[in-house]
Amino acid sequence: MRAIQIILIVGLLTLVTMYFRRFQSRALDHLSVLGLGVAGAVMVAVPDWTTSLANLVGVGRGADLLSYFGLVSLAFICLLLYAKVRSLESQLTRLARAEAIEHAHLPPSASQASE
Amino acid sequence: MKENVSQSSEAVFVVVPAYNEGAVIHSTLQPLIDSSYSVVVVDDGSHDNTWSVLTALPVYAVRHPCNLGQGAALQTGMTFALRQKAEIIVHFDADGQHQVKDIESLIQPLRNGECDVVFGSRFLRQTDKQAVPFLRRLILRGAVMVNRLMVGVWQSDAYNGFRALSREAVEKIDLRENGYAHASEILSQIRRLKLIYVERPTTILYSEYSKAKGLSNWSAFNILIDMLLGRVFR
Repeated sequence: MRAIQIILIVGLLTLVTMYFRRFQSRALDHLSVLGLGVAGAVMVAVPDWTTSLANLVGVGRGADLLSYFGLVSLAFICLLLYAKVRSLESQLTRLARAEAIEHAHLPPSASQASE
Repeated sequence: MKENVSQSSEAVFVVVPAYNEGAVIHSTLQPLIDSSYSVVVVDDGSHDNTWSVLTALPVYAVRHPCNLGQGAALQTGMTFALRQKAEIIVHFDADGQHQVKDIESLIQPLRNGECDVVFGSRFLRQTDKQAVPFLRRLILRGAVMVNRLMVGVWQSDAYNGFRALSREAVEKIDLRENGYAHASEILSQIRRLKLIYVERPTTILYSEYSKAKGLSNWSAFNILIDMLLGRVFR
């Protein structure tokens, strides 16, 4: 086994462990992260399998296939995060609006009327 | 639409979104205060002295704890004005480019019960049109076409911040576009809610201040992107 294989496998397994320690999410998320981690580790340990998979779909090298998949998943993750940012933004807006209205400054005429 | 609503000036709420307008906000607001309209200023998380100027004036002032954008500020102002029993709500820019004397003609169709929303337009009178810098005119023309294509509403002036809305219209409208794309969002909501709208001529004053402070011509591109993103991520 080459040094790079060990580094990559340790890196992948660390990521998976960190995910489980940090995020309390649903069972499906757990399974898919676990699956991805194990699949990644297997691909690193036995690179020939990725190459045969790549040949099967018309890609020359296993590494190329991985980088294509990697790019698409990265873009997908960016979109998910962006959607999350938007929903956070709208929550923040509602919160800020409520807070702004709560602490409104009234003109003298209106504040007298409300007293 | 309500028939023949005759509101007093106090029931007309002028909503002014302001972000770092401390230098001009007083001179923009004074004529509004003098004309006895109710004024709601939304300080959109300014970093300058805007808020301290506002609290010294006889206006309603609300402050976002952080900067959210003009669309968000307008929605906050409208929500607040509804709670203060506003009958007519006018959107008015803080940088002094709109004229207080135009408000009466803008809200007249609402008072007559002719429509739900009135848009100010700088392209209905030849003199107003010529006051608009050439490149700006070109871009606004493009924006009109984008609105026509994407929203399906025709309007001569797509990005005029001067509008008047009836209480009933404001109760139904809910702006979710925090940035400048709210101008197109208002149109699409008007269309969806089947509100009736008209346009009235208004004069825009292009002062050095408003030119420097206002949207640059490049913003048109950003607004378009916001509109497209707004479509995808709803």
